Amino acid sequence: MKKTTLITFAVIALYAIALAVWQLYDPTSKLTQFIPGADNRPAGTARRADSVVIGEFFMRYDVAPSNAPSQGSWQAWTGFRGQGKDNICKNATPIQLAKGDFPVLWTIETGEGHAAPVIFDGKVYLLDYDEHVSSDALRCFSLITGEELWRRWYRVPMKRNHGFSRTIPAIHDGKVVSIGPEGHVMCCNAQTGDLLWTLDMKKRYGTEIPFWYTGQCPYITSQGELILAPAGKDVLLAGIDMKNGEELWTTPNTVAFKMSHSSVMPMVLGGQSTLVYAGVGGVCGVAADGNEKGKLLWSANKWQPSVLAPSPLQLSSSQIFLVAGYGAGGALLQVDRSGQQWTATIREQYKADKGLSSEQQTPILHDGMIITILPKDGGGMRERLSLYTPSDLHHAVWNSAADERFGLGPYIVIDKRLFAFKETGELYVYDILPRSLQLIRKQQIIPDGSDAWGPMAYANGMLLVRDAKHVSCVKIED
Amino acid sequence: MERRKFLATCGTLLAGGSLAAMGSVLAVKASRNEGDMMWQIDPEKCVQCGRCQTECVLPVSAVKCFHANQVCGYCDLCGGYYRANVKELNTAAENMMCPTGAIQRKFVEEPYFEYTIDEELCNGCGKCVKGCSSFGNGSLFLQIQQERCLGCNECKISKVCVSGAIQRVPVGTAYKLKEHA
Repeated sequence: MKKTTLITFAVIALYAIALAVWQLYDPTSKLTQFIPGADNRPAGTARRADSVVIGEFFMRYDVAPSNAPSQGSWQAWTGFRGQGKDNICKNATPIQLAKGDFPVLWTIETGEGHAAPVIFDGKVYLLDYDEHVSSDALRCFSLITGEELWRRWYRVPMKRNHGFSRTIPAIHDGKVVSIGPEGHVMCCNAQTGDLLWTLDMKKRYGTEIPFWYTGQCPYITSQGELILAPAGKDVLLAGIDMKNGEELWTTPNTVAFKMSHSSVMPMVLGGQSTLVYAGVGGVCGVAADGNEKGKLLWSANKWQPSVLAPSPLQLSSSQIFLVAGYGAGGALLQVDRSGQQWTATIREQYKADKGLSSEQQTPILHDGMIITILPKDGGGMRERLSLYTPSDLHHAVWNSAADERFGLGPYIVIDKRLFAFKETGELYVYDILPRSLQLIRKQQIIPDGSDAWGPMAYANGMLLVRDAKHVSCVKIED
Repeated sequence: MERRKFLATCGTLLAGGSLAAMGSVLAVKASRNEGDMMWQIDPEKCVQCGRCQTECVLPVSAVKCFHANQVCGYCDLCGGYYRANVKELNTAAENMMCPTGAIQRKFVEEPYFEYTIDEELCNGCGKCVKGCSSFGNGSLFLQIQQERCLGCNECKISKVCVSGAIQRVPVGTAYKLKEHA
């Protein structure tokens, strides 16, 4: 055989072998497919994308015993606007402000939002939202060190809309209750974090969650009734037994209100304990005790802003101040009682630049003066601290200086001082005088703070403040 | 020199050199004393910047994810296992945080899962560690796998580590393991 023929056959054979290998070899045979079911999760237990199991996950963190909150004489701030629902902390002895700058004891990062903390038994409770795992998370921290003690969370996918978290938990008889942005109510043991019961306002009451999510903070009566305002298809308000989550009473939603961002406020009007709720559609009063507990006593729909964040403020035994942002302004509601007959009348209403108003925070009534921060549509005094008297809602008796503008920041009265927090993270302290405030110091607490809208909480000389992504503990007392 | 002889000499040198180098590495590893120092990551300082994956001189980094079972919460909804904002909680590739599939899990009981790390697949990117630390209790953490580490005089990762987490440690305590969250 010729040499060239031999080479030709050899080349053909080589190509044939290469072709056969190419066809027969499967380079993907060693690849692993990542498809659902690789974690041997039992059949039928797969999660739907929108399934919410309130409080299903729990994590406890190791904290050195020396850092764990111990038994002691702890003060408390147990809910929205504190125990007195007036946003005023009344200490037995006036606080002595720390000399020099207030030390910031700790700062924790949070999910983006405006939910504010409460304080109980040396612990801090915050309903956070963790974007990474798309979950509401009730987190418990040590007040002294800021170390996280436990968290209970549940998956609830949401889209960012001015952050996520909104509300302030409430604590009663060793139990902590939270309301999530999508209306999920969760009750846990405040000490251990054990899940006690849950309630989904959308599912149970057909609540339509408002744009910008649920802003309603839970209110618990001294008798241990959780008051909710689902303002759903059939139920306006509901009383829930804190012990087991069972429904004690409901108020039929005959007025067809919808849920607002406002919270239920307890008041005594005409000698009647009343739960006052400003919903989308109007404001109403529901009997809080007696044989008629849960009965709708009165309602008014003449003043009904489309967006409503501040809660009603009681001015007297028959007058309630209503306020809302986004152009709504303020209104004065007169509630009168004649025997079993109630009447509720809007005595006056005005735009934001015509008098006392507020966009997000609920004003404070302190020593006959109403303290507020005017909204951005409040004219030349916009975003400044202002004082009004209940008898004249149109003319401020005092306004803060031009550079003391607070945006949507919160404010709280501790003894005879007002602590106001700029939405950029700067704390201002004022002495409260008979008809004015006097600035005595200011301090940047959260560097480069932004959207600091969550209300403050105070206990044991420590003031908790937050911006959109942090919570800080400031030692204000010596 | 003849071409055949030249090629044979080159081949011999290459093979012999490789054997000698390998022998040297093994000898160095075998002769480590208690007083010798090794490179290791301090989990308390690590910020999971991702440079461990790309800066190690090895083709696949000697840095691996370790898992402290006694710290883990065995959560179904694990921030180190799932990517952010996943739509479904299942093991489809688009939901996985680990780009190489190194984190695996098995169902224990509702709602708990046991997590394990396939070291061969792990490239030390630290994405899972970041996810676990930001939400969970930090049971996932990065360590230099000493069996893989070449023990360079100057660890290339340590030169670029932004938090100074890579340090010399004695052989006797070659790992900084987590026992608490």
